[in-house]
Amino acid sequence: MAAPTLAVRGLVKEYPGVRALSGVDFEVQRGEVHCLLGPNGAGKSTLIKCVAGAVAPTAGEILLDGEPLPVGNPAASLRRGVATIYQELDLVEQLTVAQSVFLAHEPRRGPFLDLERMRRDAAALLTRLGHESIDPRKRVGELRPAAQQIVSIARALSHDVRLLIMDEPSAILDDGEIETLFEVVRRLTADGVAVIYISHRLDEIRRIGDRVTVLSDGRTAATGLPADTSTDRLVELMVGGAPQQLYPDRPRTAGDVVLDVRELRRLPAVRSVSLQVRAGEVLGLGGLVGSGRTELLRMIYGLDRPDAGEVRIDGRVQPPGRPDRMIAAGLGLAPEDRKSQGLLLGWSQTKNVSLADLTRFERGLLNVRAERAAARDQLRRLQTVPDDPDRIVRELSGGNQQKVVLARWLLHRCRVLLLDEPTRGVDVATKAELYRVIVDLAAAGVAVLVVSSELGELVGICSRIVVMREGEAVFEVDGERASERELLRHAVAPTDSADLIEEVR
Amino acid sequence: MTTSVEPPEEREAGTGALLRRRVAGLQLQEYALVLVVIALFVAGSILKPDTFPTWDNVRNMLTQASVVGVLAIGMTFVIATAGIDLSVGSMVAAAGMFGGILVDPEGSTLVFILGAVGFATLLGSVNAIAIAYGRVVPFIATLAMFSIARGVALLLNDKLPVGLLDLNGGSFGDPAPFSLLWFGTGRIAGIPISVFVFLGIVIAGWLVLNRTRYGRYVVAVGGNREAARIAGVPVRRTILSVYVMSGLLAGVAAVLLCARLGSASPVSGNLYELDAIGAVVIGGTSLAGGRATIGGTFLGVLTFALIFSLMTQLDLSTEVQQVVKGAIVLGAVLLQRPEARL
Repeated sequence: MAAPTLAVRGLVKEYPGVRALSGVDFEVQRGEVHCLLGPNGAGKSTLIKCVAGAVAPTAGEILLDGEPLPVGNPAASLRRGVATIYQELDLVEQLTVAQSVFLAHEPRRGPFLDLERMRRDAAALLTRLGHESIDPRKRVGELRPAAQQIVSIARALSHDVRLLIMDEPSAILDDGEIETLFEVVRRLTADGVAVIYISHRLDEIRRIGDRVTVLSDGRTAATGLPADTSTDRLVELMVGGAPQQLYPDRPRTAGDVVLDVRELRRLPAVRSVSLQVRAGEVLGLGGLVGSGRTELLRMIYGLDRPDAGEVRIDGRVQPPGRPDRMIAAGLGLAPEDRKSQGLLLGWSQTKNVSLADLTRFERGLLNVRAERAAARDQLRRLQTVPDDPDRIVRELSGGNQQKVVLARWLLHRCRVLLLDEPTRGVDVATKAELYRVIVDLAAAGVAVLVVSSELGELVGICSRIVVMREGEAVFEVDGERASERELLRHAVAPTDSADLIEEVR
Repeated sequence: MTTSVEPPEEREAGTGALLRRRVAGLQLQEYALVLVVIALFVAGSILKPDTFPTWDNVRNMLTQASVVGVLAIGMTFVIATAGIDLSVGSMVAAAGMFGGILVDPEGSTLVFILGAVGFATLLGSVNAIAIAYGRVVPFIATLAMFSIARGVALLLNDKLPVGLLDLNGGSFGDPAPFSLLWFGTGRIAGIPISVFVFLGIVIAGWLVLNRTRYGRYVVAVGGNREAARIAGVPVRRTILSVYVMSGLLAGVAAVLLCARLGSASPVSGNLYELDAIGAVVIGGTSLAGGRATIGGTFLGVLTFALIFSLMTQLDLSTEVQQVVKGAIVLGAVLLQRPEARL
């Protein structure tokens, strides 16, 4: 039998004071989609960085087609056919599609760029992926995220790729776009490319994956499992204990209206939206990516000024465009992109938690002891790992970074919490924890507004769900009675809804 | 949910790792700088045993360093917001000249000080408004002020310096307390007044940066402007304030300089911005913002002062000194960790 495309044996990676990988073994066969599953901090990122050559492992070996892969040499890994598509799209928005595909290995004629060939080859790659409709001359910034991702894949293919690593490719896509992505993956595997697919969405793993490897605490907990292994079993392997209940009981009792949004408008994204959130309820805001949900949240919070409409907290109209006043009125926001909007990555957990509440620690000068103690209390309440308030946030996993953002608003004792994709890029076990935190906050009387592209989680935790489509709230349903299918039907435009639903199912 | 609580023994290991990280991280540059300062002093003492390790020389170095030192503290705040202020040297000249014509032919030290500091603050405010509200890139706004303030300094007295010895109220060697020359040449317990002013500003700067809400906001704005805004930091006001402060401190530096020289000159302060930026960068403050250290800046100022005192005593020309100065700044930026660079 031929050697597997990728064989990883006894891989160990130590950082000063931390053992990120302590013995990982797995194999990826030609033409298979091998899913990599594990809680945040289990070592998935470190593992793929080792394979991609971005970091050098401390011990162990990596064989590509039976030949050892040079370690810590990204250029060599790429030359041998290992391409990686990272979680955050790393495209330059100002470049054209063709320029992006051939970035850093542009075809040349003599000393000059061969623009014609570049455009032609880019078009050929996009056609191979079934996306000939993407114009190679268009600027990447003008494309939707889904199309940008196709460009990233085309870039990977522009090298002679044997192994494609995809780190949470679906995180920024809505359900319809994910299916398009899967179509591309299927074309690649039919050509014999091996794919390592990292995702926290178990349903996706079932749809696209052939086999699954579960990492837990830097080790292989199980490898080569069939993709239809039960959820309970996978979760159990990940957490190394009894299966957990993913969704807590949804909050039932609702008090007075705290957040009252009246006919808020900011064209083109938001046409007119009114909604109310009561103390003690979790209101879900569903819809496709681009339906105006994030823009609405930013407007409510005062980050963008509305063209028309107003936001009331406890019945009082708030000045537009003033996040500081909104925070003073009791609002908190956990933004969509924690790294670029939520956190100061080079700062300690403590400083990130206290930033919105420094006045509380002012006695003339800041009382940094009291600050640290207060931050630690909130971080412990959320069981943030590691339990070290001085730890730099950049070194934390995605789920724990999200907890740091939440800890800030817990410390603030905010009364309205706006959460934009709170569980994006978070593993199942941490998701369950975050759901518990959200529901507990509501139970304590906080009005919570959650934006999510995962319809399942909205159905799982929300008291009420509002669906947005093209900048308007088009549908509202009680959380108990909601179904994903119905939400999706309202989220897609009426004209093409039938097709899309079929495609997604 | 108790899925991922660390066992206690790992927590202990975590504390040890933390200590190592602290030493290895932000403060490494400061520790290294202490060694550099000591090494330079020792080197000077070996090369010039008669003139270098003397109290006179040390006093001289500190007096000269105090002018740029004051600018460097303001510059630390500016750079902490991921900004830059190229106009401080020109503002020093303009501030001194403005104060000078206010008291020429006749006036008090207080009027001079208020005039100089007030005028520099005004110039800094122009920078501040252009950057915070006009959204001009700091590099360009302060480069424009670099030219404007120098031009104003030359225009104020038809390119001529203004003598300030009339504000003396005593003799050059023994100025009366609180006269202008006292700030430049006076001493308490053998230590020059200007050094006290500099040290006072260092301590105040440290407290403001590390122990006030405002200081935290300054660094937050530099580290991640959007995240700071979402956490409720008044981003524009914070950016505004650092350029006003940089102007104000340029006024203070102008007072110290004029007090030492007994005159205000329209060509003074030349290239002081490079010295100030150099000291900040050598100290370890990140040019990309989000990380700032007053202690590092202080050591950076001392490092520069020692190097130039030594080079002067070794009879190296100012041209050579300029080359060395530029090379040191470049080297310091190259030594910063990659993410801290621009």
